[in-house]
Amino acid sequence: MGPYRRIVRQRARRAPQKRYTSAQINNGRMNGHVSRRETLAGIGLATLSAGCLGRTRNIAGRDGASQLTLQIDAAPADRDPNAIRVARHLAENLDAVGIDARINTLNQTDLWRKVLINQNFDMYVGQFPESEPFDPDAMYAFTHSQFVAEAGWQNPFGFTDVNGVDEQLDRQRRVEAERSEVVAELQRSLCELQPFTVVAFPDPLTAVHEERFEGWTNRQPLSAGALLSLDRAVTTGKAADDDGAGTDENATVDGKTDDDATLRLLTTDGQITENWNPIAAEYRRDGTFTSLLYDQLALVDGEEAIPWLALEWDRVDDRTLAITLRDARWHDDDPVTAADVAFTYEFLHDTSMGSVETAVPTPRFRGRSSVVQSATVVDERTVELSIDNVNDAVALRALQVPILPEHIWSDRTGVATIAGFEFDAETTEAVVSNNEDPVGSGPIRFVDASAEESVVFERNPDHFLVRANSDAETDPAAGIPDRFRGKPAFDRLRIEVSPSDIAAVDAVSEGLADATVSNLGPDAAPRIGREADARLVTGHSGGFYHVGYNARRAPLSNPHFRAVLASLIDKKTVVDEAFDGYAEPAASPLAGSSEWVPTDLAWEGRDTDPIHPFAGESGTVDAEHARDLLREAGYRFDDDGQLLARGE
Amino acid sequence: MNPLLSVLGSIVLWVGGALLVAGAAIVGPCRLARLRTELAPRLWSVRRSVGVLVAVLVASAIGRGALQTVSELFGLRLTGLIYAIEGDFVAWVQATFVAPELTVYFSSIYMYGYVFLLVFPFVAYLALPETTALNRLIVAYALNYSIGLVIYTVVFAHGPRNLMPDMVTSLLFTYNPDFMALTSEVNEAANVFPSLHTSLSVTVASFAVLTREEYPRWTPVALWLATSVVLATMYLGIHWLTDVVGGVALALGSVYLSYRLVDAEGDGAEGDPGRNRVTGDDGSS
Repeated sequence: MGPYRRIVRQRARRAPQKRYTSAQINNGRMNGHVSRRETLAGIGLATLSAGCLGRTRNIAGRDGASQLTLQIDAAPADRDPNAIRVARHLAENLDAVGIDARINTLNQTDLWRKVLINQNFDMYVGQFPESEPFDPDAMYAFTHSQFVAEAGWQNPFGFTDVNGVDEQLDRQRRVEAERSEVVAELQRSLCELQPFTVVAFPDPLTAVHEERFEGWTNRQPLSAGALLSLDRAVTTGKAADDDGAGTDENATVDGKTDDDATLRLLTTDGQITENWNPIAAEYRRDGTFTSLLYDQLALVDGEEAIPWLALEWDRVDDRTLAITLRDARWHDDDPVTAADVAFTYEFLHDTSMGSVETAVPTPRFRGRSSVVQSATVVDERTVELSIDNVNDAVALRALQVPILPEHIWSDRTGVATIAGFEFDAETTEAVVSNNEDPVGSGPIRFVDASAEESVVFERNPDHFLVRANSDAETDPAAGIPDRFRGKPAFDRLRIEVSPSDIAAVDAVSEGLADATVSNLGPDAAPRIGREADARLVTGHSGGFYHVGYNARRAPLSNPHFRAVLASLIDKKTVVDEAFDGYAEPAASPLAGSSEWVPTDLAWEGRDTDPIHPFAGESGTVDAEHARDLLREAGYRFDDDGQLLARGE
Repeated sequence: MNPLLSVLGSIVLWVGGALLVAGAAIVGPCRLARLRTELAPRLWSVRRSVGVLVAVLVASAIGRGALQTVSELFGLRLTGLIYAIEGDFVAWVQATFVAPELTVYFSSIYMYGYVFLLVFPFVAYLALPETTALNRLIVAYALNYSIGLVIYTVVFAHGPRNLMPDMVTSLLFTYNPDFMALTSEVNEAANVFPSLHTSLSVTVASFAVLTREEYPRWTPVALWLATSVVLATMYLGIHWLTDVVGGVALALGSVYLSYRLVDAEGDGAEGDPGRNRVTGDDGSS
């Protein structure tokens, strides 16, 4: 668009000159042949066309400046009660400084499709897709410029900082001792350049009903590890007699007698009822349930790295990691082999497996899979990953991708088609498949689902957790901590879609479900306290809420402009009002793992952002001050105080 | 107990009770008694419009999912535009009028009053000797649904409670979360324009005005209920003022069309032999 417009303008400038000459010629002719009166009229017209019209063209040829309009995409309150409130706060403050902000509500899947795949957005409000505090390397895919052209969670902003952020991201992968310094520098760069504005780390609130299952720790109630380590409540047998009303009813509703062993969860987000593709970016939030369907080589639970599908791994040299697999089977009874692991890493690099001209990388796990250069099968149970000299922390992250069965996914490498037509050469069947009847190797197996209503999984009896036997000569679950042995404690896992967070909390307190698994808004959280039978459990989240900017579009391409937008968000007020206090405001995307945050970026003891302090007071923006910030950055306003932009 | 069933149960109970009372008070025992013999022929004479309505409802039940997907992918996303047009009107309504008693009133109107408002005219017009009014009503319902379905597919917009939860409380569901179990079965949150609650209520009210000579007592009741339903949609934070305006336009258009459509058909049915006699009875009751 830019260069094209420039050419048009140059032409427009040149054109009047030509007109002027031709008008002079006409003028001369007229003098000789026509009456005096007509001549005068002719001259008048000629002058008009020569002088004024030319000038008019000069003016009309320029695009007029008009008020800047920015669209903020967010999920509606029923789906995400917090995001829309953040969007409203920002929109109000944008309006106050003279920028026309429009909030566009979309369902979660449409939102992520728009932002991550199609990238045709101005700004969005959403959550980072990690349920737990994460290693700094998570920023690698999120902000490295090598991913600007890819679709997915890798650099959705189109953000580029070649000498700063890129270089720091590369360095933190290699250095060992100075890593925390490099990571501190990285955070300073990100905070200054604001490809996205971190708003707050929400407390992962869950309403739980502990009658049937216990062990909802106050650590991470919703992580895969936490769901696996749940225990059956010991009182169940007795309670069925005394307090049987609730459980009896449930048994009749479901028509099953073993209903006691079903873990029933409620969510407001129906994506898990229709899509089970672990790499589909638009359908996965943090991928908790797909990570229970598909085992990873290593599971990180809290601080602990647990050998999961990999029995052990060994750093053979700087560039090689040797993996020994456990004895495991896919849900369709085929054995899990080293070839599957090698396939998975190659597949995540290019889901077309070389069948398409340009590689089609995975839209999720891009940063992790980019660590592994290649994978070599040594024997049936051993595979060697070549990891290009990265430090141990980054190597461990590379082990946290879902291992996929080659015999299923190798059929999905072709270009996706609808009725035989290809729509986009950069879309493979693998990234658009709903992955019905998912075949993984994880502790739960798919049973059935009804879209937008519910999905049922069952415990996988062949899983190494279930087969754990420490007396046997070769324990299938060697190296697995006690809290996971013999688990999961449920026979079935049923996830139901609830129309809103409030309805979900009510259902849990009535004993219709055991826990909520989606975000609870400020109207729902206080209800838990009032309900006698429900308890509020929380932990630490990695899924920070942020405002993402499309740096491909002016003026969002300008870091100075983004910096002013960042100072229009009063994070403290947002936490109080949009999260009812159940969140921690933050400046750095790594604030969830506070050991990485340097003191100059830490929020503790502050009322406002250390780098981009709120331009106003307690939620209300000081419009003149904010306009001054924008004027300093080179932006202009009209008499009504509207921010002017060209070419909108 | 399952929240959906409990809500459905209470609706059947309350609306059933209200129908009995209104049947006695508005339709009158004479007309109701005559239904015993005339029910079958009258139903037979509205079979075509009932067929159309059933077809529309079945098509909507089957096709709604697919149309919703089309709407999500290609629909005009108008939430932002609607908000830009009317601003904080609904927020103002809530900020100005919300009181616990009103919330109870409007919640009950939205769930029970609305269902009663839609069902009662069936009974009332079925009790009339002529079936023209019933035919028109059914055709108007079918038009409301089918045109509404088309607009829902073209327009993708969320209501005020979903866009500005900071200013507009989802009063219906905070008052009784179980209601949501039913509304989420029946409605899609992204189908707010036009308000079908408004359009069907205004349709019934329009018919009540047009048939005021047959049922003079029904007219004020219907007007009262319809106005309450229209206000409830905004008071409860479910619909925008724009949706309500669109709903009123849809209602008036549907009523107008139903008169055009059914008059032409009705001419043939006027040869009904009992017509004059029954009209004569009318004056005496």
